[in-house]
Amino acid sequence: MSDRSDLKSSFNRAINGRAGELERIARDILDHPESGFREIRTSKLVADWFSENGLEVQTGVAKTGVVGTYDTGRPGPHIAVMGELDSLIVPGHINADPDTGAAHACGHHAQIGSMLTVATGLLDEWVKKGLSGRVSFMATPAEEYIELEYRESLRENGEIEFFGGKQEFIRLGLFDAVDIAMLTHTGSETAGTFGVGGSNNGMIGKTVQYIGKAAHAGGSPHLGINALNAAQIGLAAVHAQRETFRDADSVRVHPIITRGGDAVNSVPADVRIETYVRASNVPAILSASEKVDRALRAGALATGASVRIKTAPGYLPARYDQRLIDVYRHNAASLIGDDNVIELHHSTGCTDVGDVSQIVSTIQPTANATSGNGHGVDYLVEDYELAVIKAGKAMGLTVIDLLADGGEKGTRIAGSFNAPMTTAEYVSRMRGFRSDMTFVE
Amino acid sequence: MTNAENTELIALALRSVDGASRRLISAAKTVYGTPETGFNEHKTAQYVLEQLSAIGLAVETGIARTGMKAILRGGSAGPTVAVIAELDALRVPGHPGANADTGAAHACGHHAQIGSLLGVAMALNTPEIKKALSGNVAFIITPAEEFIDIGERLDLRASGAVEFLSGKQEMIRLGTFDDVDMAMMVHTSATNGESTFNIGGTSTAHVSHQVRYIGKSAHAGGAPDQGINALQAAMLANLAINTQRETFREADVVRVHGIISSGGTSVNAIPSEVLYEGRVRARTVEAIAKISEQVVRCYRAGALALGTAVEVQTIAGYHPLQQNLAMQEVFVQNAERIIGQDSISAVPGDRTAGGSTDMGDLSMIMPLIHPYVNAASGVGHGHDYLIEDYDRAVIAPAKVMAATIIDLLSDGAQTARAALDGYIPPMTADQYVAAQREQFTTEIYEPQQARGNKATARTAGDGEEAG
Repeated sequence: MSDRSDLKSSFNRAINGRAGELERIARDILDHPESGFREIRTSKLVADWFSENGLEVQTGVAKTGVVGTYDTGRPGPHIAVMGELDSLIVPGHINADPDTGAAHACGHHAQIGSMLTVATGLLDEWVKKGLSGRVSFMATPAEEYIELEYRESLRENGEIEFFGGKQEFIRLGLFDAVDIAMLTHTGSETAGTFGVGGSNNGMIGKTVQYIGKAAHAGGSPHLGINALNAAQIGLAAVHAQRETFRDADSVRVHPIITRGGDAVNSVPADVRIETYVRASNVPAILSASEKVDRALRAGALATGASVRIKTAPGYLPARYDQRLIDVYRHNAASLIGDDNVIELHHSTGCTDVGDVSQIVSTIQPTANATSGNGHGVDYLVEDYELAVIKAGKAMGLTVIDLLADGGEKGTRIAGSFNAPMTTAEYVSRMRGFRSDMTFVE
Repeated sequence: MTNAENTELIALALRSVDGASRRLISAAKTVYGTPETGFNEHKTAQYVLEQLSAIGLAVETGIARTGMKAILRGGSAGPTVAVIAELDALRVPGHPGANADTGAAHACGHHAQIGSLLGVAMALNTPEIKKALSGNVAFIITPAEEFIDIGERLDLRASGAVEFLSGKQEMIRLGTFDDVDMAMMVHTSATNGESTFNIGGTSTAHVSHQVRYIGKSAHAGGAPDQGINALQAAMLANLAINTQRETFREADVVRVHGIISSGGTSVNAIPSEVLYEGRVRARTVEAIAKISEQVVRCYRAGALALGTAVEVQTIAGYHPLQQNLAMQEVFVQNAERIIGQDSISAVPGDRTAGGSTDMGDLSMIMPLIHPYVNAASGVGHGHDYLIEDYDRAVIAPAKVMAATIIDLLSDGAQTARAALDGYIPPMTADQYVAAQREQFTTEIYEPQQARGNKATARTAGDGEEAG
């Protein structure tokens, strides 16, 4: 055990010497936000840091992703420490890019900081000597499921198949040899705490198009077929399903109308809706999705319009590995005290960390270091020491526990993890979510 | 038309009506005090039978359950003119004249029609007048003009007691009008201005839908996810129907309205069966066919959205009213002469009232008039619809109808014959019955089935864009 404490002390010391630099990197990314699959500058910044610090670098993974490999040279578990490259698009956020509206309103910039913090500590020679196995530092693109038209164009070009960066990493085989994965997200629970456990909803995305028939809205509405009315009936019908959603499934269906008619004096003939269907488990997502489709079709049936419903795979529900949480909790408590490590509840938001969690033993703790509303104009990281330095230390200390002693603990945890699916099964399942149906009722 | 001899006969008829006015008004009030809904007018029918018998007419009873017919034969052969009165009340609980148990109430003034029909019978059933008439007068008392209590009437239909759901429809089917050439009745009204009468115009036709959503019950608190909510389906259909309204053309005078006749049985259970009674009215049968299709599509949409089944029973309703101009002219002349020069106003022939009447059905097979007498206050079918002026409601129509019949059938019935000459009914009674029968349909729409059959599901891109 004394060996282990020595390793941990060395790890912490190595970081303490470079804390200012690591925080500055996070703030630099904050000042240069880039949305998913467009993280050119951020990606280069990470790749350069990896090279400068002696990690083997792989760039252009899933367009903008970067992987830095840390290999002890000894056999042992393979751990992925992840950080997300992308920002949201929140014009009006204080750190928003004035041209693109991109803004780090979800704290991903701190993740890159905490990921590099882990690398900084593990690269210490003494630490490295005490560990076995490998660590892949994965800077993943596009966690936010946005800009669907852009991503659809990338999909059509063959640059990506799925809309989430980690999904692409999985598809490309980057998790095939990984045993354990971790990422620390910023959070808004009690300031100064780490959150552990919890879980996340999964989701699928839908783009819906009602095609009616245009006619003069004043002169001859009887000759038109009102696609907006069809959409409104469809949406009302969606709401009529809500009483059938079970509390335990945490279903969320939240549509927006992206096109609601072209001229007020013309009967709308092309109306479009986008929606997610989220739930805590895949059967509930599929059941709610079926109800949503049925409801949307009713709008077409009632008005005589047609409806095209395109369903795209979203993220899978996240389930975090309790054994891994226990290791992490111990290390997090060593940094900020037992009372400051709190248990998270189920979150109805979604993340592509969920997809990773279906394949390998995963944790996604939170560093509660922010103010404001997630995804809002006022979401700010207040406590960089917690979000970057301590978050990195807690993950890195966990990695040390997993890879010390020949990687005995990591091997045990990876071995006892009962993966819901393999990469191949994952890819085929995700492809199965995709459909494109037109209903002429 | 009216000559010296007619004038005397008419004067005689008017004196009879005046002499009996207290009795006629009392008869109307008696009927008002015994409101009974359609096909259930047993007491009312018995009372009218007694009154007609007292006048000395032989009455055929039990036609279409409660309907009656009495023929007054003229001195020589000729056309038969029917005078019609309706037996039935509405169902308006809260009306001051409502039956406490059934809610039946004469909120449409049919009781006044009984009074005026008795007045015509009394006036014409005198030897001098009968002798002068070439032809007959048929007094036809019809059940069930209000197209209500659809469920109850469908039960009667199922038991074979009736086939169609209104009195005149049934009587046409049963041949009651086979020996009748032309018809008239006067309905009370509360809405038509200063003059005593108004005449002309049309009414809407209609079709009814008996809609049954079949869901699945479950504890509404404990396991709503296990249920299939039939009420949500019906409400969604109603919402969808409302979105159709922008497609209704004013010229078609479309009315679409419905009630939820059973909307669930207990609030803590997901409603598994919901009944909706819908009605589509419009100026023409063609417009109804189109709108009805849109409405039925909405019923199906409710089922599709919630995953219920829906049974839609379509029920033949009424035809639009067509009034005969030649008969109208005779009625107008008599109203002006008897009641006063300004006592009647003509409604443009193309003006369509939103309501419907089975006189519309009768107008498909014979010439007729259906004037209104403005003798009521309040809103038709409302709590406050009351006959204010019984002289107007009962006596004036009796006089004008009696005089009109004398004009039609005296002088060898040349006026009646002139009205009938060249008149071609839109359809024969047989054609009418066949057309009504054709409208009765029942469809069951089950979304699961639709998935395979009715809906076209395909992968986009391998065919044309749907329009």
